[in-house]
Amino acid sequence: MHLEKPNFLCLKDKAEIILFTVASASILILFLITVFVFEEGVPAFMNMGLSNFLFGQRWAPYYKSFGAFPLLYGSLMIVFGSLVISVPLGIFTALFLAEYVPRWLGDLLKPIIELLAAIPSIVYGFFGFVFLAPRIMEFFDLSVGKTALTASVILSMMTVPTIVSISSEIISSVPKEYRKASLALGATKWQTLKSVVLPAAKPGIVASILLAFGRAIGETVAVLMVCGCVPEIPSPPWNYFEPVHTLTAAIALEMGEVPWESLHYHALFGLGAILFTITFIVNAVADLIMKKAPKGAVQI
Amino acid sequence: MKAKFVKEKALSFLLAFPAVILLLAFLSIILFIGIKGLPAVNWKMLTTSVQKGGIFESIVGTLYLLAGTLLIATPLGVATAVYLVEYAPKGRVNRIITQALNNLAGVPSIVFGLFGYVFFCRFLGLGISLLSGWLTLTCMVLPIIVRGSQEALRMVPKSFREAAEALGAPKWRVIKDVVLPTATPGLATSTILGVSRVAGETAAILFTCSVFLMKGLPSTPFQPVMVLTYQLYTLLVASPSVSFDRAFAMALVLLGVVVILNIFAYLMRVHYRKKWKW
Repeated sequence: MHLEKPNFLCLKDKAEIILFTVASASILILFLITVFVFEEGVPAFMNMGLSNFLFGQRWAPYYKSFGAFPLLYGSLMIVFGSLVISVPLGIFTALFLAEYVPRWLGDLLKPIIELLAAIPSIVYGFFGFVFLAPRIMEFFDLSVGKTALTASVILSMMTVPTIVSISSEIISSVPKEYRKASLALGATKWQTLKSVVLPAAKPGIVASILLAFGRAIGETVAVLMVCGCVPEIPSPPWNYFEPVHTLTAAIALEMGEVPWESLHYHALFGLGAILFTITFIVNAVADLIMKKAPKGAVQI
Repeated sequence: MKAKFVKEKALSFLLAFPAVILLLAFLSIILFIGIKGLPAVNWKMLTTSVQKGGIFESIVGTLYLLAGTLLIATPLGVATAVYLVEYAPKGRVNRIITQALNNLAGVPSIVFGLFGYVFFCRFLGLGISLLSGWLTLTCMVLPIIVRGSQEALRMVPKSFREAAEALGAPKWRVIKDVVLPTATPGLATSTILGVSRVAGETAAILFTCSVFLMKGLPSTPFQPVMVLTYQLYTLLVASPSVSFDRAFAMALVLLGVVVILNIFAYLMRVHYRKKWKW
């Protein structure tokens, strides 16, 4: 006996086909982004040679000199600076939230920290511009307030929530038996955390740091407001008290005035392609590492 | 032995320190922008035209941008989530789509801006317009909405589906009449979070839909629009020496919108989680 009329069967199939088509949109979008950003960037690589573009020391659009290295260096420098601040801050906060705080307080604090991630980047930029930059200038007695340090601090505020929310879930998802076994052996809570919980949660924590890296290097307007936007490698190269320029900021600032299809235009897409490649690789690695994280852990 | 416990206590206090720093950072932003912004935000500022030094059109323009993006992105996102959760919960198709979404979520917003410019504005010939903005932002928030919707759909108890299936309902009717209505609050939450992301976005709309000054509001989707984030951006980049009154007002409005949306989404999630303990 047929319980389902053929009509229903047909509709069911139709629903599935429509939904499948819609769901494939994400693949199409990713494909189009890759194709169009690279297609517009490749002429710049061809014109100057890939290594000249990537490692050229001078970014001076006015003189038709498009060496992306100072921008790449600036981006990496402030991302590194931000991680130096946000990684310890984030991991300790995650530990604190997951292990030391009573549940109700954790439930209250977590959304507040997640809210930090939701604040628009232009607001962070504005805050850095009018509040942080002048204070940094005063405090360190500098001639400018918009430095790599300022950008690193603002970026660290923006990336800490990523580290905290993923790490704390990973830490909570480390099986209870591990802790109990360690405590039963006479280890204190801190010893248990240090030698049992943290090692078990390590892959997830590393993944969260990589995701924070991806987010930080792609950050645009907040960085643009506070990094100073001087496309030169500071001297010495580890001097955080000097202004820098970044890949994202250069695109945002220069794209508006650039003649269409000019070399400068293609160079900006070239920067976009570099950025896309970096974030793609970083996210892929994070994804791989995350697969090794404890079972039942959060999806990233 | 006692020393060991003292050390433990001390450590737990030390561990609280980073969390306190974070809270202070958060408070300093809210307080700084709140205190400086509140005197600047008044009814007159909110309702005066941009041309006369107010921010009226940029607020309405932001709403236009949000509404359109939502109208496109929500059905797309929810449908994708329904497909992933109900039709292909595992297997290769699911893996590929999930992977694509994960990668999309990691693409920097400025790259979305570049893509939107070359694809929607140039290639499809839509120009710098509201429509280009909607489409660009849709690409950007799609992963957020899908992820949230997936979670909402997974929270619908299996027994609901089984009960409907036992009554002989075909799959699409189970989804339409049982799963989706039950998951609606969760779906709404994920949409709200998507909205809050769009409201605060700057980089993706820099070259796709926004202008600093235009006459009035766009009357068709093919016209550009004035948006809060872009106004604030241009004000700071192009003329950083002018009085910050308007900038503070805009920053506060933005901050307020995003914070309220997020608190709303959070409360909704908490409320329904409590209500739905089957």
